[in-house]
Amino acid sequence: MKRGDVIGGYRVVTDPTNADGGKCVWAFAEKDGREYFLKRFLEPKRPREGGGGSAASRRIRLETCREFEERHRDIIRRLRPDASGAGNLVLATDFFHAGSTYYKVTERIDTASLEQPHSLGPKQRAVLLRTLATSLRLLHDIEVVHGDLKPANVLVQQREGAAFHTAKLIDFDDSYLSGQPPAREDIAGDSLYGAPEWRRYVQGDESVGSERLTTAVDVFALGLMTHVYLTGALPAYDSRFGSPADAVNAAAPLTVDDRLATSTQALITAMTSADPADDQPARSSRVRINLGHRRDGLSRNRSTP
Amino acid sequence: MSAEIEKYQGNLQYAVDIVMCIDATGSMHPVLDIVKNSSLQFHQRLDEVMARKSKEISQLRLKVIAFRDFGDDPSDAIEQTDFLRLPQQVAEFEKFVRGLRATGGGDIPESGLEALALAINSPWETGLDRRRHVIVMFTDAPAHPLGTVGASAQTYPRDIPRSMDDLFEQWGYARSQTAVMEQSAKRLVLFAPEEEPWKEAIGEEWDLTLHFPSRAGEGLEEFEMDEIIETIANSL
Repeated sequence: MKRGDVIGGYRVVTDPTNADGGKCVWAFAEKDGREYFLKRFLEPKRPREGGGGSAASRRIRLETCREFEERHRDIIRRLRPDASGAGNLVLATDFFHAGSTYYKVTERIDTASLEQPHSLGPKQRAVLLRTLATSLRLLHDIEVVHGDLKPANVLVQQREGAAFHTAKLIDFDDSYLSGQPPAREDIAGDSLYGAPEWRRYVQGDESVGSERLTTAVDVFALGLMTHVYLTGALPAYDSRFGSPADAVNAAAPLTVDDRLATSTQALITAMTSADPADDQPARSSRVRINLGHRRDGLSRNRSTP
Repeated sequence: MSAEIEKYQGNLQYAVDIVMCIDATGSMHPVLDIVKNSSLQFHQRLDEVMARKSKEISQLRLKVIAFRDFGDDPSDAIEQTDFLRLPQQVAEFEKFVRGLRATGGGDIPESGLEALALAINSPWETGLDRRRHVIVMFTDAPAHPLGTVGASAQTYPRDIPRSMDDLFEQWGYARSQTAVMEQSAKRLVLFAPEEEPWKEAIGEEWDLTLHFPSRAGEGLEEFEMDEIIETIANSL
């Protein structure tokens, strides 16, 4: 893929890049006078007539491709752009292969994102968190786990003329059905925002089976992001640990900023608690967000972080 | 807590191995210094990006394979290091990279596929919790078919595939029985011209491969090292 190529009817209008993408290359594209975001997947590759490899390897690769297409089409079927409340989900409008490569298309969105949401005013932050929680709840209501929730996958934007910033949720390519994640070595996720059970699953902990990877994985990340959006930083944890989840797995506390309202502190503590299957019912498997009496999550009598 | 406190043993551990295949033939003369400088700065820049993302690599190893042309001079067609741990072995890494000279090559195609085959068969890290195994190819030329030009030379690598089909099977794909690299860990980043085998046979057909076209005499620009760093940092 390069600037000027026409792929599946989409003309590539920018230089492709892998910025912020782990297993893809992307560019902006145009078709019929409209602008799109075009993503080229690095795997799987469809075997082509006359391409390399044995007949046996072709069979294996075609089967992998069939499963890949099925998974993406299933998510696309479940996440309709016209669904109520889906306005802040950036969803696929097309999915196809050209030659041996798969592509996915979404509407072109402005990829700029406010870098310091905690600098917004109280009401702005409340609206921002509510739009994010609403989007996530929509996913969870249809039993879809985003699977890679982190600030880089949330665009904080203010539409022209709009009073508030909203959170647009992007990149559902690592999504999976609750309790049915990819294999341990294949599952995506972020080392900083990953949930305790995700890390144990990745580390090969036999006591954490695939059924333990549920929508609660996203709730843990949302808890961390809520803290970041309100204070500008993650909850504090001992520097011996590589991430909040490592600390939680070691039964070490995460310290929520005490300038936050008490109810907000309690909410974030609940959302970032240990694996819910470890007799810790506090981390709900569904998004329940309540930003406290002040609506912005900040305590009445303390300075804003 | 101070930095001296021992890290918790249960932290998720990431291992990153990178093999840089560098075309060191005469035509690379205008850009080899840029490639070398970028390679030398790589460790520091990766550290900076990871720190910005509040992430940490537990173990980083780099290996360099410089290649020229077995058809021109088999005696210097491949020069390589072992995997070197950084920062501990940075002096050894720098000494090798600084010593590279753009020379020879003969005809236009070079022995890039032999270098790639050696890279694929590297002794990749198999421990720690998660791994990234990245091969980066810098070249401005197409490549001779495997097992042809200079294949009878004593210095020609003995244990590499002799055809593109066999090399493809070694690179592998999901559920491959013949792959020598870990599917979920591997990536191939090509800074290579839009010529074969880079453009179609590899750039289009192989999975987990990114191809950024290069032209003879034009270089590895600043942003291209960023593409490699993005490949690593975004997948941890």
